[in-house]
Amino acid sequence: MDWAGDQLRQIEATRRQRLDESAPKMDDSKASTLLENFHPDFKGLERLVQVGPQAGKLKCLSEIAELLEADSPLPAVFEPSPTLETDVLVVGGGGAGLAAALTLQNSGLQVTVATKLRIGDANTLMAEGGIQAAVGSNDSPRRHYADTVVGGHGKNVPELVRLLVEEARPAIDWLTQLGVHFGRTEKGYELKPGGGTSTPRVLSCQDVTGLEIMRVLRDAVFHGPAQLLEGHSAVELCDDGEGRVTGAVLWNSEAKELVTVSARAVLLATGGSGQLRLQGFATSNHLGATGDGLVLAWRQGCSLVHLDSFQYHPTGSVFPEAIAGQLVTESARSMGAQLLNAEGKRFIDELSYRDRVAAAIIREVSEGRGVTTPAGRQGVWLDTPLIDKRQGEGTLARQFPGMIHRFKKYGIDPSTQPLLVYPTLHYQNGGVAIDQEARTEREGLWAAGEVTGGLHGTNRLMGNSLLDIIVFGRRAGESIISNIKDRGPVTLSALSRFRKERETVSGLSQQKAPQLYPTVSGMKFELKQAPLEKPGDDSFSQQGSAGGSSFEPPDPFSAR
Amino acid sequence: MKNNPETKTVQITVAGKPMEAREGQTIVHALWQAGMASEVMTGCLGGVCGACTVSVRYPDGRKGGTELACLHQVEEGMQVFPFPVDPIPTKPPVKEPDAAKLREAYPTLDRCTKCESCTYACPMDIPVMDSVLRMQKGEVEQVAQDFTTCIHCGLCRAVCEDKVEPHQMGMWVRRSLGQSLPNMTPQEEPEGEAEREWGYLMEGTLEQRLERARQFRTQESLNSLEDSKE
Repeated sequence: MDWAGDQLRQIEATRRQRLDESAPKMDDSKASTLLENFHPDFKGLERLVQVGPQAGKLKCLSEIAELLEADSPLPAVFEPSPTLETDVLVVGGGGAGLAAALTLQNSGLQVTVATKLRIGDANTLMAEGGIQAAVGSNDSPRRHYADTVVGGHGKNVPELVRLLVEEARPAIDWLTQLGVHFGRTEKGYELKPGGGTSTPRVLSCQDVTGLEIMRVLRDAVFHGPAQLLEGHSAVELCDDGEGRVTGAVLWNSEAKELVTVSARAVLLATGGSGQLRLQGFATSNHLGATGDGLVLAWRQGCSLVHLDSFQYHPTGSVFPEAIAGQLVTESARSMGAQLLNAEGKRFIDELSYRDRVAAAIIREVSEGRGVTTPAGRQGVWLDTPLIDKRQGEGTLARQFPGMIHRFKKYGIDPSTQPLLVYPTLHYQNGGVAIDQEARTEREGLWAAGEVTGGLHGTNRLMGNSLLDIIVFGRRAGESIISNIKDRGPVTLSALSRFRKERETVSGLSQQKAPQLYPTVSGMKFELKQAPLEKPGDDSFSQQGSAGGSSFEPPDPFSAR
Repeated sequence: MKNNPETKTVQITVAGKPMEAREGQTIVHALWQAGMASEVMTGCLGGVCGACTVSVRYPDGRKGGTELACLHQVEEGMQVFPFPVDPIPTKPPVKEPDAAKLREAYPTLDRCTKCESCTYACPMDIPVMDSVLRMQKGEVEQVAQDFTTCIHCGLCRAVCEDKVEPHQMGMWVRRSLGQSLPNMTPQEEPEGEAEREWGYLMEGTLEQRLERARQFRTQESLNSLEDSKE
């Protein structure tokens, strides 16, 4: 980082003096102004969605609105004809989906987990900081509740939060019994503070907590009876024509064929949408996070809540360019790393709420106190060497092996050099409305994890998403066991209704959704071209028994 | 950074196909830009899922090796070869793991000839071979620690001539040991106080509930909140 030599020397020179300095304080009214002026949620780029269950009522970013209004990639002539029957179809192979699959494994119900990528390829894996649970001596689920609600600006659905915090201890016990290692001391679990926790409450496995949890859940599922369909993206949900969800159409990306599944219960556990890269932000999310679940539920008539709110994690990496957007865990701040602007000055309490910290960083940059990287990105300093100064030499290397490893490749050692950071699109705060049993408004359809909305209000606390997927994934599994119905007919009547509604609105974009992959990746939904039934027949031909059909009309000039 | 990635381009090959890339890009992003995303399987884009395993070769005779395409930067003349690793079944964990139980689950443990290929192959810098030797001696605590950052990409297994499965054994040791640890969550407190606090926190309008939550979070309980008001 020779290009930033002067600033690095200045940061170095003031480090000792800053060590015992108290954090800049901000009262709530100032914080509101900060959010309104600088948080990306308040830029006024929202518009009303024109098609679907909350048409004319739901306000969200135009990028999301376009996705919700978009037509299905399914060919107009496609008729669903199930080739796979299962009791429970879990859509999504991340933390929430697998927690549900494990909960269902002794129920006698046949479980099928369909996932776009591989089992375990999910944001869960990438969670670094930890998981919240009120296990400390001065703590209680009520205090956890209060912190969560204040963090979420009071907009959280109270009953969902209560369930989350009360089920936290059983969730930790369950994970421990599966073999998850959480950091321990002689007295109990090692607890870290997080932004907005009033007492240390975050359990962790160094800075690879999500990786540890996902590894264990995945291994446990591999040893269980669930049928696993990797490389199978859900492109549409099916219903019985009377408002009950009865299956899904999946796209097998390897065979490039459509597969229709009949299920007695469907769990939507498709995760978030960071790869939509809203407002041009970089993202910390995995390849598959393209908001598919929102689209699927929307077409079935499910309400979406708090979809005007996204979490921009304050500390995404901006240098080196190759890993721009990748997460630098909040734990770095909870262990003492400070944020500094280009003048070397602190400008926010590093352990304030994520939305405030992100807004403060954006303010520093937009008011000219940011640092510009050689690639033209802007950010502020995260003074990570303070961690060892405060907690003892070697702490950073011991507690943050993931961070050390990632930056070492580029010749940066966070224990001696500060990092450059800027907010990165991290979490979809809102989503599909659910009740305390993880049921959506449609019979037969459950939802759990990041795809849902209401739990976190309009700002999520660190460590509450790993808890969310475990608590609500398990809850969805239990609820399915008690509420599952007999098999119903599998139709696309909700989609037909949606398509008819689209015809009444003019000026809609030609985009197709769910989009399945980030636009920038150039990866596509593309069905295998079916051979023609007989020469000269230019109609669509059914593709085997899977009920698929060719996606594009045959090229009329191909014979020339 | 000396070179501006906006301007300088490099030539690389992926699976023998030539392509142009911007200096400073990862292999994955270069593939995206070239419209060749499907050449290498991709997952998390953050170096933790192990999907995008490749091997690379440099034109100047430097030692190449296995890498994660989502973290590895392109450079002039680099040759990239997709190196997908198929997962293989794991063995279920057991309580109180030791060397004998590990040998029973993974009989190829003792076939290690100390060639160190696994350590070279590991994209997470885990001292894999040393840890396999620790497994042979039953030093399970240290093994569990060695494999903390294992992304289960399977490269260590894929390059092993002796069919040792280090990542599987590391996982087995971690899970087995983890399952043997006691739960340390505290017992629930008496019901009455909790219900009173829930009533206080959950009733009223949004503004009232938010204000109560603000006050409550700085106290340990409703009692101490009431005391502090008096």
